Order: sequence, then structure tokens, then C-alpha cells
Amino acid sequence: MCLAIPAEVTKLLSDEMAVVSIDGVSKEISVALIEDLAVGDYVIIHVGYALTKIDPEEARRTLELLRELSAEGQGAVP
Amino acid sequence: MNLAFRNEIAITVLLSGGAIADVKVEPRSRPPLTRLFAGKPAASLLPVLPRLFSLCSVAHQVAYLSAVEAARGDDAAPMTMRRRITAVIAERLTELLRSLFIGRLALDGARAASVRAMMQAGAVLCAGADESGPETPRREAVLQIKSALGELGIAGEDPAPGSMIAAYLAGLDAEALTSPLAEPSFLTAADDLDIVTRLSRDGADFSDAPDLHGRIPETGVWARRIGRQPVPPPGAGPAERFKARIAEVARLCAWLEGSGQDHDDSAVAAYRLGSGKGAAAVECARGRLHHAVELDRDDRIVRFEFLAPTEWNFHGRGPLVRSLKGAVLASGRRGQDAVRALVDSFDPCVGFSLSYREAGHA
Repeated sequence: MCLAIPAEVTKLLSDEMAVVSIDGVSKEISVALIEDLAVGDYVIIHVGYALTKIDPEEARRTLELLRELSAEGQGAVP
Repeated sequence: MNLAFRNEIAITVLLSGGAIADVKVEPRSRPPLTRLFAGKPAASLLPVLPRLFSLCSVAHQVAYLSAVEAARGDDAAPMTMRRRITAVIAERLTELLRSLFIGRLALDGARAASVRAMMQAGAVLCAGADESGPETPRREAVLQIKSALGELGIAGEDPAPGSMIAAYLAGLDAEALTSPLAEPSFLTAADDLDIVTRLSRDGADFSDAPDLHGRIPETGVWARRIGRQPVPPPGAGPAERFKARIAEVARLCAWLEGSGQDHDDSAVAAYRLGSGKGAAAVECARGRLHHAVELDRDDRIVRFEFLAPTEWNFHGRGPLVRSLKGAVLASGRRGQDAVRALVDSFDPCVGFSLSYREAGHA
């Protein structure tokens, strides 16, 4: 069970690396497996690699869903 | 608002006198899907699954569809079932392929291009899950995967001498970690009914730390390997497990290249559990995935539970912990690298963090 949390590319670096923002948290990842990536694109990350590029609207809906689930989880009785 | 999801497993190894005294496993967060989807139409959850579970989205979709059909008292048509099995096998192949290279070996320009080609071909194969979509050009995609594998040094079930995979295997230090002898136990399709009955009845109380009457079996590549050839190889360390992944990749390619008639019967199974209740099991890359669903008369979700294979392998008393606890390891970086390789060899997809502490220290 690996949740697919979309990450927004905020900066492209040399050597096929990039900085992404995952819900406000920055992280440096490899983008060697994605072609034609630009700042503002959304990607799905796994073990430090961007695996797939996803549509921004799809990313927005996924983040919205994850926030709903997060709120439900935080409101849960342990 | 920050997302309060922990998306990797945190493993703490407690050391004492050059041996592993204990292992603590902190699992990932489980999204409370039942609470969010209770009362909503059964069909509303299906498009959400690939959005949430990117690495095994086909397996989750097939498990959910199969469980919902069972809850309704329906059976999938043979052609539909066959397309689903093909998609599940294709996804399993894609995940295993990715696990051979990503995060393990340096991916420079040419290698990255080969991995990209494999992933693109895998996506084409997985598109078979969409029943309204076109027929998958399966053979072409498999040929593309085999070609990319050849470029990366894998032909058939073995890495080519001199390839980076062969070098990786040669670099695994079998002497740096001596695991205790433990009686192996493996999850099979014969356990499905017991699992889904308890999943349906006990929900998260069961799925957070599952066991089968005290037994916590291993699932995934190694369990499938033992299921096919019950005489195990001399060791069950990272090298043997990694070779089992390569061998399974070769088998799955061969299956997808063939007619598909002789399919793997345990890849997808559905179970009726009573009025409005159904369940399913899917054999995905990391092991057996189970879903259980309860629907009301208006086809709305009353309850949805799932059990990921990782919960078995990374259980606090499960197969990984049994392999580590009591093991003697080399000092320093050498021993820690051996532990990391073993953890990594238990699951082709899971993200994890490792930390070390002397036993008895807070």
C-alpha cells in the first residue's frame, strides 16, 4: 500500500535532478525517468524517483481527496 | 494543511553485542476509506483507487471490482476475467521490472532510457484493465520489455556476465549478516477464505496486524518461488530473492507472449460472504492483496476493508522480523548495508527507513 501523493516540480537541477514540493515540503529527487519535465508539472514519486507525470487537474483532485482522508483519519478515535 | 500520512515503513534495529536483539516496525498510515465512502455508491470508489495507490492500481481495481461483483451475487464473464488477469500479470511484471533497477543502480542516460522504455511498455500492457479500451498490443510491448532488459543485462532468468545487475549481485555480502534458522511459512490462495472472512468481520483490528491463528506467513515473489518449486535454494538471502525476481520477470514475459490460455488460476479470486458481502484476492507484485466489501440494497457502500501484502511481510512478528531477530551482523557500514539489502529484498515496492539503536538505550 503506497499512497500516490502528487508532487509539484519547483526547480529543475543539473544531472536530471529536481526539487519538488509535496504538500509544501521540499524534496530533491531524480527525474531521469521522465522526459520533457517543466517547473509546475506534477509527478508521482517513488523511492526518490519521479515515476510518472500527471495532469495538474488530476493532481489537484488527488490532493483534495488525500486532505479529506487525512482529516477523517485525524478525527478518528484511536 | 499538511497531509498526515506516513508513506514509508520505519524500521528500528536494536543491537546487542554484534547481534540483532529486536526489530521494531512502525507501519504506514492507512487511509480511512470506509469512513469517507460509507453511504456512497459502490461505483464511486473505483476511480479513486488508482489515484490513491499508484504502484498497484490495477490490482486494487481488480480486487475491488471482483469483491463488489461477489457482494452483488454476480460473476465476471470469462472474457472479462481473462482481461483482468492479463492486466494484473502485466502490472506485476512492470512493478518487478522497476524494482530491479530503480533505487538500486545508477541510471545514466542510456540505462534511464531503457527503464523508461520498459515502463512505457508496461503501461501499454496494463491498459488491458480498461474493458472498454482497445485490445492490448501485448506481444509488441513484451518484445519492447525484453529488448530493454537485454540492454540492461538480463536475458532469460539470469543476469548477463559483466552486466550491472551481475555486479550488483556479486557485491551482495552474504557473510555480513547471518540470519537465524526459522521455519518458513508462506501465504497461498488456500488461505484466502480465512483471511477475507476475518477481514470482513474484524476490519482494521485484523488488517493492521494480521495473523492466521498465530501464523504470519510470507507473501510475494519468494513465496511464489517456493510455491512453484518447493525445494528451496540453499539460502533465502537478498541474492536468492533478487534472482527469484529476475526468474519471475522471465516467466511473466513468457506468459504474456503466449496465448494466455494457460493462465495463473490464483491471480484473481472472488468470494461471496453472504447477503451483500463479497471479497476478492489478487496476486500482485508484492504478494496477495485482499479486499472485502459490504453493500446495502441500494448498492451503496456499508463497509470497505483491504489488506495489503506488506502487512504480512513487515508485520512486527512477521517474516522480515524473524529473519533479522537474532541475526549476527558485521560491524559498521558493512552490517548495515546487509540489513538494508535484506529488507529491500522482501518487497519490490515499499519505501522504508532504517535506524539502529543499542538495545536498552532509550
